[in-house]
Amino acid sequence: MSNDLRALLARRKPGYTLEAPFHTDPAIFHADLDIIFGRHWIYVGVEPDVPDEGDCMTVDIGPHAIIVARDDDMQLHAFHNVCRHRGARLLHTAHANVGNIVCPYHQWTYGLDGGLKFAAHMPADFDRSCHGLRRIHLRSLAGLLFVCLAETPPADFEAMAATLTPYIAPHDIAHCKVAHAEDIIEHGNWKLTMENNRECYHCSAAHPELTRSIFAEGFGFAPVGAEAEAQAGRFHAMVDTLHAECSRHGLASQEIDHLDDQITGFRTERLPLEDAGESETLDTRVACRRLLGNLHEKRLGALSLWTQPNSWHHFMSDHIVTFAVFPLSPETALLRTKWLVHQDAVEGEDYDRANLTAVWHATNRQDSDLVGKAGAGVRSSGYRQGPYAPDTEALVEKFSAWYVGRMAAGIDA
Amino acid sequence: MTSAPQGDVAYNVTYTVSDRTIVCPGGTFVLDAALAAGLKLPFNCRQGLCGTCKSKLLSGQYDMHHQGGIRPKEIANGLFLPCCSRPLSDLVIEK
Repeated sequence: MSNDLRALLARRKPGYTLEAPFHTDPAIFHADLDIIFGRHWIYVGVEPDVPDEGDCMTVDIGPHAIIVARDDDMQLHAFHNVCRHRGARLLHTAHANVGNIVCPYHQWTYGLDGGLKFAAHMPADFDRSCHGLRRIHLRSLAGLLFVCLAETPPADFEAMAATLTPYIAPHDIAHCKVAHAEDIIEHGNWKLTMENNRECYHCSAAHPELTRSIFAEGFGFAPVGAEAEAQAGRFHAMVDTLHAECSRHGLASQEIDHLDDQITGFRTERLPLEDAGESETLDTRVACRRLLGNLHEKRLGALSLWTQPNSWHHFMSDHIVTFAVFPLSPETALLRTKWLVHQDAVEGEDYDRANLTAVWHATNRQDSDLVGKAGAGVRSSGYRQGPYAPDTEALVEKFSAWYVGRMAAGIDA
Repeated sequence: MTSAPQGDVAYNVTYTVSDRTIVCPGGTFVLDAALAAGLKLPFNCRQGLCGTCKSKLLSGQYDMHHQGGIRPKEIANGLFLPCCSRPLSDLVIEK
């Protein structure tokens, strides 16, 4: 397989979709799990998933079962969710609050720092210190949690964190709560979910709710037709105005794009919104009365963040929507969406959950439908590589180029 | 749960599911007295770590010294660990 994969990577035509095996072949799927998800920084959730001492969250990244835990000193740790005794899975629910992590099989008991504190019936010379939970690298980027399963993770995470923290920190993730979460299983390879996210070519036809507030131009779309120039000009003027206003509020806004020129690829920009310009809601106004952090201005547009290989995020003045993609099988992927509001916001008083989630709940379903259609097409015998529109699907090309580059680097490592 | 356990006093500890009442001296762990009396209860570490013996207390006072085997929220909900708790009064336990 590695020879086939090597050949497929080598002959990949820039500007074109990936060949079918990248979306269907179990061997390439396992290579994705090993090289992409096993050796890069993977977004798994937010600090408000584990707000209190003893809180644990479980995440499965393919075959990698992970616990993120907050200890009694509020420090975060990540471990393999596997007992060091006979390998049983330790925690079975998405979230738990525990004093110690206790294996349900024979009650081997681990502290929240992963140390083995108790194991009955083991001989006197049994060294508990050699049987703590296996640690996984974990970083919080202003409240966004990333793990890396590799022994030596990519070193460029710290530079990304330094660049992005001024953008994200004012939205104060640590003092948010998860107001709503939903998981969707999409019927396509995880890369089809990511490709779909990386363009807004499909937005005007597919996303009536989302396009009430967002401008497709912010997501790589180039307007066409007689009014294209005026439309583009209007959008760029709005971007400039928003950035100038945000700069007065001390908020970082300028576009930064490292999607395909470094190992830990990312892109960010604060983008204007239509009409009231406040939030990605049906009426473009804030969905939550209590603004995030110390923000006082409602009209801050939406800060977009994209990370390779598996996330995107929208930060507004009143709420955050955050998306993680996890591969499930060669032809299915999990899209996990969370809506965050200030931790003191009260449902029914400060926000209405249906209003808060209406736009992305609808958009996720529309996207899921499109990913399913793409999945069904690329597994058909008639599928051939198709061209990305250079002026409108540049971010898709950056995703595919990054993926091919990282796979080629990883296959020989 | 404030006064020190009295070694020379004994309390009745009633297990409602087993339908047994066991005498537990004030200085003895609730689990130890139950095991000595032949009651079969789930337990493992006997030091307040693993939480295997976690039980619902229906009434009574106790003095517990656990090591993370139980959460404050669970204690607030009436749970305790008999392995590391001494009685301060008669106890009624749902076990």
